[in-house]
Amino acid sequence: MKVIEIRISQDLCKGCLLCVWACPYGVLEAGKERNYRGVEVPIVTKLEECRACRLCEYRCPDFAIQVITDKDVEKLREAEQMELRWQRRVELAEEVGVSE
Amino acid sequence: MRKLDFSHYLAKKYMRTDMLPHAFCPGCGIGIIQRAVLMAFEELGDEEWRKTVFVSGIGCSGWAPTYFRVDAIHALHGRALPLATGIKLAKPHLNVVVFMGDGDSMAIGGNHLIHAARRNIGITAIIVNNMIYSLTGGQLAPTTPMYSYTNTSPYGNIEPNFDLMELMKAAGATYLARWTTWHFVQLKNSLKKAIKHKGFSVVEVISQCPTYTGRYILRKPDPRDYMQWMKDNSILLDVAKGMDERELEGKIVVGEFLERNDRTEFSELYWSLIKKAEVKA
Amino acid sequence: MSSKSERRLVVGYDALTDAAIMAGCRFFAGYPITPATEIAEEMARKLPKVGGIFIQMEDEMASLMAAIGASLAGLKAMTATSGPGFSLMQEAIGFAAITETPVVIADAQRVGPSTGMVTMPAQGDVIQARFGSHGDYSIIAIAPSSVQDIFEHTIMAFNYSELYRTPVILLLDEILVHLREPVLMPDKVEVVERMKPSVPPEEFIPYGGEIQREMPSVGDGYNLLIESVLHDELGRRIGTDSVKGSRMIKRLWNKIEENVEKIAREEFFMMDDADIAIVAYGSPFRSAIKAAKIARDKGIRAGVVKLVTLWPFHDSMIKKISEQVKAFIVPEMNMGKIAREVKRAAGDAKVINVPKLGGSLHTPEDILSAIKEVA
Repeated sequence: MKVIEIRISQDLCKGCLLCVWACPYGVLEAGKERNYRGVEVPIVTKLEECRACRLCEYRCPDFAIQVITDKDVEKLREAEQMELRWQRRVELAEEVGVSE
Repeated sequence: MRKLDFSHYLAKKYMRTDMLPHAFCPGCGIGIIQRAVLMAFEELGDEEWRKTVFVSGIGCSGWAPTYFRVDAIHALHGRALPLATGIKLAKPHLNVVVFMGDGDSMAIGGNHLIHAARRNIGITAIIVNNMIYSLTGGQLAPTTPMYSYTNTSPYGNIEPNFDLMELMKAAGATYLARWTTWHFVQLKNSLKKAIKHKGFSVVEVISQCPTYTGRYILRKPDPRDYMQWMKDNSILLDVAKGMDERELEGKIVVGEFLERNDRTEFSELYWSLIKKAEVKA
Repeated sequence: MSSKSERRLVVGYDALTDAAIMAGCRFFAGYPITPATEIAEEMARKLPKVGGIFIQMEDEMASLMAAIGASLAGLKAMTATSGPGFSLMQEAIGFAAITETPVVIADAQRVGPSTGMVTMPAQGDVIQARFGSHGDYSIIAIAPSSVQDIFEHTIMAFNYSELYRTPVILLLDEILVHLREPVLMPDKVEVVERMKPSVPPEEFIPYGGEIQREMPSVGDGYNLLIESVLHDELGRRIGTDSVKGSRMIKRLWNKIEENVEKIAREEFFMMDDADIAIVAYGSPFRSAIKAAKIARDKGIRAGVVKLVTLWPFHDSMIKKISEQVKAFIVPEMNMGKIAREVKRAAGDAKVINVPKLGGSLHTPEDILSAIKEVA
């Protein structure tokens, strides 16, 4: 099992820094850049230390951080497809809209 | 619709992503409970997810199931359990999971909680206990610690609390567990058991509200300090049994308090009653 | 209605429960309250025999919420109560209105306010039936005037609730619920069934159009989001957008108010040449008919308008009659509630309300003296 990357979403992160606090191996650090909310989104500084314990994922309340190993790639792709189908449904409903 | 950039497996698979980011405060425990529920269903399997209905009360926790991509009913304050009872009786094969806050379930909904437990109806009640009324801005709840200062107890809270686990035990619930958002894995495992459990199950989750409880009561507005506090002050049930009341003051006793399978679930009992009536008819 | 039918001596609550079951009701949640207790007792006996569900909940709010839950899960559901319970249910009635859930609530009215005169009839909840819950919403309320009416109107109530995706209030009084009269009960009646969705979940819009008749149940895989806050066509909350919010409120209101002509029902007796109209509903209707007949014998051209639906109120019908008659007489077992609606709709015409309080029913003489005043 190999850790490929740790993706942190600029759109969803609210800067609570629970992931940084949770990591036992010092993989994450509070970032210097602030996102559109004005919060410090964490950055991955030591990817090689990550053992995919996923404590950062367990502590994140916002679904903003995802540890991706080689075993996760397929699952993630399937989930992306499911999300695309959902988005299409929402777009269809929004086009039709509610009557006046 | 704004396209969000994120790669979370559970969120993409199970959530209404058009409604993200969700409305909870930074560091709020409800997001962690949502993730625990989704992980529990990920492990229980697709079939269980597809026959699940969520019902919720009003409050911060009431918004939690509205983000899930499955049937969700955002009902009235304190009245989620009777609505869930109607659903469970009409479609007993469904998993009915109810999200309630501490005020929603123990104050205005207290009566319904007692009767749902008394009937042992097959509902899983997830009670998000942040010890305050958070959505309305930080007022006293039945679970707020004594002598705390809140917006409706500016001179200190003089109302004691009660132990939900003892109340539910006496009322007849058949699966009881209490964890905090710090005990993630145990919480997820208890949720799995509670969902599969046939009778009335209650999982009370002590969850952080950094905005109100954190700031006003615990003086720990940083969610990291709050979670550290939850970790340091939790005592496992088996250990707590050997301690006396003074030692346990101010501590959170966590664990699985009760698991019994000797009481028949209500909708099962009801349908066997119908068989009797239909035979007589 | 089919040809094979039988005429039996039936008591009010028996007719109500038989009609509900014939209309497809398979769930009843209630709480004992005089004078509606017998309705719950009959449902407790009858529903399990047809595979339906009866449950006595811990209070009236739980009763209506359980009925709403069962309706969302696909069963036709109802509850029954009286004044104090009806007051408790108002929040849940608003919830049924905003989630557009079909449910029938029977209110066997008794003298109020508060605990009132527990065993005595009244008609004091008629405005509360329309405006009892907070906020802006619209609702249908039906008032039977005989046990035959109870039978037919209960079926109408269930049909309307499905057609318009709304809670429907069945306004009875203590006399009617306990009255025993001959009733013609056909063994087949016209029932409006719930429409199942015609499109798969990816294309289904839960609150689309003026009235979305297609209603999937929870557990059917349609990923419904049923919200008690103001929501858009997918059930997502509107938040603070006033434009969307006012659009949604108008939709809830117009759904019924703009369809008055299709929904409102009334019956006319001796109205063709009448110059005095008695507007009556419920138990006072029978005194009104007798009074009109006595008046006719005395040469006074009185007629009776029997209101079947109280809400939405049929303004245009009253306006049209106001051009024909010189006065309206409205006998009610309250201080004059529907009389205010008649006055509002009648414009300049004279409206006399004849209240009868304390649990007693109008005698024909009570109404006759009012007729003589304006004759």
